[in-house]
Amino acid sequence: MNRHRILGLIALAAVLVGFYFGGQAPLDQLQGDYTRIMYVHVPSAWLAYLSFLVTFAASILWLARRKPVYDRIAESSVSVGVFFTALALMTGMIWGYPVWGTFWDWGDARMMTTALMFFVYLGYLALRRSIPDPAMRATRSAVLGIVAFFLVPLSYVSVIIVRTLHQGITVVRPDSPIDGEILLALLSNVGAFTVVYLAFMSVKTAIARGEEQLEEQSAAADATPAGAAITAPNLEKVRDV
Amino acid sequence: MTRYRWFVLPAIGAIVVIIGWMVFLSLGENLVYYLTPNEAIEQRAQFPDGERFRLGGQVEVGTLVATSDGVEFTVSDGAHEVHIVHQGAPPELFREGVGAIVEGAWDGDVFRSDQLVVKHDEQYQAPEDEGHPYEVPTDA
Repeated sequence: MNRHRILGLIALAAVLVGFYFGGQAPLDQLQGDYTRIMYVHVPSAWLAYLSFLVTFAASILWLARRKPVYDRIAESSVSVGVFFTALALMTGMIWGYPVWGTFWDWGDARMMTTALMFFVYLGYLALRRSIPDPAMRATRSAVLGIVAFFLVPLSYVSVIIVRTLHQGITVVRPDSPIDGEILLALLSNVGAFTVVYLAFMSVKTAIARGEEQLEEQSAAADATPAGAAITAPNLEKVRDV
Repeated sequence: MTRYRWFVLPAIGAIVVIIGWMVFLSLGENLVYYLTPNEAIEQRAQFPDGERFRLGGQVEVGTLVATSDGVEFTVSDGAHEVHIVHQGAPPELFREGVGAIVEGAWDGDVFRSDQLVVKHDEQYQAPEDEGHPYEVPTDA
């Protein structure tokens, strides 16, 4: 078994454990079964933040050391992060409709910063497609990977610094107002999703490496002297006309 | 130029988000998402009857009454209270003791709203927990 498959199986097992705890935990007295959406929503948002943090760090390392592996990590982490940002936005809407009474709110700072984060990192992937030269692509996207990261802490603290419809911070505070079993279920799913992140990253960085080799091969093919195909002009034929 | 077409979706998305947010914030002429009852009363002069804004607070226990086309209740921030006359069906989880945000306008001393969302807080508690603020009657 290769590394990808082993990590994938561990991730699957971790998700099943998360499912178990999510099914076992008591329901919030007000939200009932809607509580369970949290076990997908919060881990997705966590992975979005984690992914972009990894990209931030890998981008700095690329600029400092210029090793292709850092660029591959930065790119792969954005791909995974954009996926989980979308999942967090969608599960948030599904959760918000019954609990708040609305899918979306244009005035909510958490929703706006998260949506902005989604589109900016989608722009990161578009930027990569628009630059053919690998070194230049890595450098420019590293700059964006560092600059765009300010959206992550902004999104996280948005529920503290301004009034929002989105609830405040539950877990990371000294007097966490959450039932012990609900917290256990939440943390087990956060852990499970983190293993899923590692499994995705393992595959995605391998794909990025393959793409890089392909790019090098086609660059080498393009480098064949263009003059080889050119022959001297047939002047005799011209004279005959 | 075909390399740049991949920017279209992210660019449109980001612009829509920024414009949507700015339009929302300029509507209330206020850089806050909602006013508290205290602020709404203080700024009464800036919001004449019919001038829409958002108001948020805790639904006072014992004030929720069903009407023919909606609900009436009082929201409070602990010190000040505003009476809300809401038109329309409230969300499923709306009840006394929860946080609510209404959108509408002053009509004399009452606030007439036509949009109502429940602001669930960051607490997650199993039903058997005692002394929790959500231990309130569920029927209006």
